Amino acid sequence: MTLRLPVGRAPWRSRTDRSARATQSVAVEVLVCGSPDRGDDGAPIAAAAVLRQDMAGDVRVRIVGQLDIDDLLAVSADARVVIVDAAVGIRAGQIVELPLTGLVGREDRLRPRSSHALAFPEVIGLAEVMRGRPMRGLIVAIGGRSFGLGAAFSPTVARAIPALATAVRDAIGRLRD
Amino acid sequence: MHDVNKLLEPTGDLAIDIAGLTRVEGEGSLRLQVRNGVIEQAHLEIFEAPRYFEQLVIGRTPDEVIDIVARICGICPVAYQMTAVHAFEHALRIEIDPAVRALRRLLYCGEWIESHALHVYLLHLPDFLRYASAIEMARDHRATVESGLALKKAGNRVVELVGGRAIHPVSVRVGGFSRSFRRAEIVALRETLETALDIALETVDLVAGLDTPEFVRDGRLVALRHPTEYPMNEGRIVSTDGLDLAATDWRSAFREDQVAWSHALQARGRDGRPYLLGPSARITLAGDQLHPTAAAALRRTGLAEEIAVNPYRSIVARAVELVDATAEALDLVEAYEPPDAAATSWRPGPANAAWATEAPRGLIFHAYELDDRGLVAHAQIVPPTSQNQAAIESDLAAFAPRVLDLPRDEATLRIEQLIRSYDPCISCATHFLDLSVETVP
Repeated sequence: MTLRLPVGRAPWRSRTDRSARATQSVAVEVLVCGSPDRGDDGAPIAAAAVLRQDMAGDVRVRIVGQLDIDDLLAVSADARVVIVDAAVGIRAGQIVELPLTGLVGREDRLRPRSSHALAFPEVIGLAEVMRGRPMRGLIVAIGGRSFGLGAAFSPTVARAIPALATAVRDAIGRLRD
Repeated sequence: MHDVNKLLEPTGDLAIDIAGLTRVEGEGSLRLQVRNGVIEQAHLEIFEAPRYFEQLVIGRTPDEVIDIVARICGICPVAYQMTAVHAFEHALRIEIDPAVRALRRLLYCGEWIESHALHVYLLHLPDFLRYASAIEMARDHRATVESGLALKKAGNRVVELVGGRAIHPVSVRVGGFSRSFRRAEIVALRETLETALDIALETVDLVAGLDTPEFVRDGRLVALRHPTEYPMNEGRIVSTDGLDLAATDWRSAFREDQVAWSHALQARGRDGRPYLLGPSARITLAGDQLHPTAAAALRRTGLAEEIAVNPYRSIVARAVELVDATAEALDLVEAYEPPDAAATSWRPGPANAAWATEAPRGLIFHAYELDDRGLVAHAQIVPPTSQNQAAIESDLAAFAPRVLDLPRDEATLRIEQLIRSYDPCISCATHFLDLSVETVP
């Protein structure tokens, strides 16, 4: 089974646009990492397309591609964050959660597969210093197998995308509470 | 033996492993073998998995190649795109509009600004200010980090506008771009770039005053040189020992070899000698073509001669190039007039394509054979880091003896700082350092 990203459901947005939108008050921001044309790296974007169908008004979903410090600096001051990404080092299709709290200093646990210039913990740590407050939230990651060129997911990951959307929805619910 | 205070044991025989290099792009490690205080072996081991891009482009059209090679690197995708597109256009005799040429140079400036700002402020500066990471540095030097982030953002904005998106841009096509840009769109970059230029000039002053280890390397530098502009998209391949080649002829002077300790091919001169690329090489070989604002900034430092021989001063070279790229981007924005068409039409066909451009980290060379249908039949992609690898190993072998009697942490910092001076881009990732010291039996 393969799944292709519906064209137009997960547009790449400009970082400038993201910054402008960040002035709105929201409870939870979902930052979706990945690339729609690099195999399983596109799984979070496909899950975001599912999520957008029933998101509450105080939840904002943003496709960020590679997580950049500017993406975190644009998060509203009181908002919680859910970062969704594909990962290696766990079973394909497996979904894991990592709290942002305590992540800094654990660079060895989160080596990015794709071309992040700085590892997640460094990006998050820098954002915390620049914001003057800790980032509150979670990383929700899905294990990937194939990150080659093309939009097709590996079968296990394709089957797990609804579960990834559910996991993100659950995380949002807990953070809003 | 592990966890000793000195790198050099009383016997003088040991091996040093830096198992994971931090604040470089990709997965690599350093292994030094020392016997009787003499470095016997210095290996920069690259164990990032092979990525097979040269095979991925086989059977693809030139325009597909431009999109595919941009995926090789998230930090310098424009360099890959530019080298490929110039190679195809040169081989297929496609004349591009001067306005398109200017836009491409603007796009390349954006990548240089973004890449150099990231390296100077977040990857290299913590070494000089003696912080373990950019996070720790930011706690004490928030304004400095804000300056670096503002510069990086300015570069991002240029790439995003001209390239279509900030990471892995999509707008470059053989013959031009996928769309036209109105003057108002380009001029909208002016304010961002003016602010960035002020910061870039301050950056030169900041890094020129840093306490820097003394080290004089004796080796060949290689870069492009253009008769009228600082090298980026075009120029001849020149060296400090008199080489002067067309950009298409890299293979006549250099070759790639497989080495046992690295997944990356290692390039050397055909005479076997290593050579160094990058900002220091460019300033040494083409510094007279710097933008006047950058040339003045370089003169103020008084470090032009030291940049040529001390790799630790590459941070100054990079800062001067930040000024150059920002000032030139501003000039290009001011002078921009839209081309008559977004792209020149062209016909596919058989050709042997080759070209070299200057990535932020140094000269990058591509060669492609196009078959009768105009599809790629063979490809060779030579990134800067595979060319610098042998020079880095040679420099480490020369430098390491002077730090062997330092406490372990200090020696590790000095060695890592030296490696980071070359801004190696092994693939595109970053992780942490774990130093272990083991006595050779």
